[in-house]
Amino acid sequence: MHMKLTIGNIHVKDVVVGSENSFKDGVLTIDKQAAIDYLMGEDDHITELDIVIAHPGDDTRIVPVIETIEPRVRMDDRCLFPGVTGDLVPAGEGELKAFKDCCVTVVGKEWGSFGDGVIDMGGEGAKQTYWSRLINICLVGDTDEEFERHEQQKMNHALRWAGHRFAEWIGKIAKDLPVDDEEVYEFDAITKREAPKNGLPNVVAVLQPQSQMEALGYNDLWYGWDMNKYLPSFVSPTEVFDGAMISGSFMPASSKWSTYEMQNFPILKELFAEDGKEINFIGVIMSNLNVALDQKERSAIMVRNMALNLGADYALVTEEGYGNPDTDYVRCMVILEDAGIPVVGVSDESNGRDGLGQPLVVLNDKLNALVSTGNVGELSDLPACATVIGNLEALNRDGMSGSWGYDEVLGKSARDDGSIIMENNNWFCGNHISGFAAKTIVEW
Amino acid sequence: MAKKVIYYVNQFFGGIGGEDTADFEPEIREGQVGPAMAANAALEDAEVTHTIICGDNFMGSNTQEALDRIEKMLEGKEMDLFIAGPAFQAGRYGVACGNVCKMVGEKFGVPTLTSMNVENPGVDMFKGYTRMMSGHNAAAQMRKDMAAMMAVANKMLRGEELGTPEEEGMFHSGRRIEKFLEYTRENTAAYRGVQMLIKKIKGEPYQTELEIPERDVVPIAEPIADLSKANIAMVTTGGIVPVDNPDRIQSASATRWGRYNVAGLDKLPNREANGYKTIHAGFDPAAADACPDVIMPIDAMRAYEKEGKIGKLHDYFYSTVGTGTTESEAARMAEEIIPYLQEDGVDAIILTST
Repeated sequence: MHMKLTIGNIHVKDVVVGSENSFKDGVLTIDKQAAIDYLMGEDDHITELDIVIAHPGDDTRIVPVIETIEPRVRMDDRCLFPGVTGDLVPAGEGELKAFKDCCVTVVGKEWGSFGDGVIDMGGEGAKQTYWSRLINICLVGDTDEEFERHEQQKMNHALRWAGHRFAEWIGKIAKDLPVDDEEVYEFDAITKREAPKNGLPNVVAVLQPQSQMEALGYNDLWYGWDMNKYLPSFVSPTEVFDGAMISGSFMPASSKWSTYEMQNFPILKELFAEDGKEINFIGVIMSNLNVALDQKERSAIMVRNMALNLGADYALVTEEGYGNPDTDYVRCMVILEDAGIPVVGVSDESNGRDGLGQPLVVLNDKLNALVSTGNVGELSDLPACATVIGNLEALNRDGMSGSWGYDEVLGKSARDDGSIIMENNNWFCGNHISGFAAKTIVEW
Repeated sequence: MAKKVIYYVNQFFGGIGGEDTADFEPEIREGQVGPAMAANAALEDAEVTHTIICGDNFMGSNTQEALDRIEKMLEGKEMDLFIAGPAFQAGRYGVACGNVCKMVGEKFGVPTLTSMNVENPGVDMFKGYTRMMSGHNAAAQMRKDMAAMMAVANKMLRGEELGTPEEEGMFHSGRRIEKFLEYTRENTAAYRGVQMLIKKIKGEPYQTELEIPERDVVPIAEPIADLSKANIAMVTTGGIVPVDNPDRIQSASATRWGRYNVAGLDKLPNREANGYKTIHAGFDPAAADACPDVIMPIDAMRAYEKEGKIGKLHDYFYSTVGTGTTESEAARMAEEIIPYLQEDGVDAIILTST
């Protein structure tokens, strides 16, 4: 009795756009016109699409970045994202193939929003995101979603869904290819486990994905279900890897988990690496981050009780966000510690531009094991890049969370010479709370 | 080539005189004056090229002008390190050392170093902006404080990484900054988190990456004795502003605030009526745009005023955005708002959030 997910990895050395779909000698060729025709045919709201490749080291700045996704194919031909790109079917078991070292990067051609971000492929800004280490297959587009054109909060539905479909469409090229290596994740039914695994300390992961928007359409989805209208559930980590969850459009970019990060959730992979060695990994309690106090408390109570009833001895808690979500993050850790379940937490901090601010909006002395992945307030001041994919003006105009159109001391974020000044908040998934971050916070 | 250090002292340590000369205006002299001489002798491969002297009163009562003048004096001068003090427990001198070090760090990007006693008010004000030694309380201990400070100065000039504040005898800066690590699996947050958990399970020592700091808890205010005579002001972090957002307050991580005159208004006109709206990016703005009083309840306050329940509603409300706004920025904005409230004799404030 177990869920077994096998991901066959195909490493991509380069991606080019051309007039056929193929993969030869590590080079992935994408039939550009066929892709655009397919994606525009799937959604009447898309008015314009282009596909542009950005390589690690390129002197290229990408903005506004809406989403990143890993191109994959399910060997049983079902959709990659149940309830999103196809029918609802169980995720978490079976075989996948994935194109590694690349990602689909969804970019607004003209318009950005609060949750969108920036990727620098080269120069000093490259260290700010994991995406600069991958070949970015940029899907750059515009839509006729006029109702939100000038809104700071955008659902970006047409472009986000196009991104997921595009990842699936590219993934199909992998179907009959030999794989370079394989990742196998076996999640045994927790009542059927045997010694020596059964007997090791039981560890549960508590994930708090973004669900703050009361209006639907902006939050992370679980099997296509808006997580604002959701209660904590017990799930298998393999479901997370296998497309049961997609990212939303809300949350300052650097604290966001993109869909690519969910597909590859590093914290869950590291727990699997220790499963049966140091720990007995008993799965994921998938919670959320709603804004009303009773909703926060209800989720915390349910996480606690589920952890107790699962027999969790220890927990690792992580939040997709900062600010208001810190209250859920801290509450959840405190209620677990009070229940006798010691916790490690992973999150970023909000210390302000000068680094002197309070790191989380609430603090508690019981939090004695925390990992820090970045400060949303640190400023980046970077020269122009030779190439911009998207529209730099979005930084000044569209209310992106880490940039501005006017400041009497700093000026505007996107300067006329193409150089930029902005907060860490704007780096797309820059603090990589999902675990990709090779960054911490130290005292000056 | 020997590195260059510039030194700051007050009128007393600069040999100008005591309290009667505390109005002494800033002056720069070539070479070393007062403690700068001992500092120079303790430097390994560096020299103190100039000493700045400024009276504590002058700095205290004309701070910006003094700092501007000192900035001009330093322009174009070579400087690898800037040292001020030690200030011991002398409050005005400590604040002066802090102010000058902060300015030099910000304007010239040069490392700075000072020393003062834990009781000095300059410690809390400036420990985040300069390297600060934990010094003694009186000048009788000058030799000890100077030796400790110069040991750190030599390390800083050599470009050596400093030890922990405890090892170096410094105050914790309280300033948290990002540190990028080499991109390896072992350095990822995922690996660090899981390994920290395993150490916690095994009872082995581990280092949390965020020590929970002592909290700055504000006590609850005393009740108002007679509400019917009280002047009440309204302040919000809910981002209610005139529709054109004249103060350009940011929608998140705000550093700006505004005050808006509501004298004579019985309620706030809404966005559609070209009145007020919210620019807060942390919640759905529909309800607040339709009726700004749900966040800034001028309507309810005016009704209380007419009923005589409160004496008076202060003519302005004050607004900023709370989402992502740091505690330090919020405290600064509060300090900027408070004088306006004091000027009008406000007795109490209602702070509305979202």
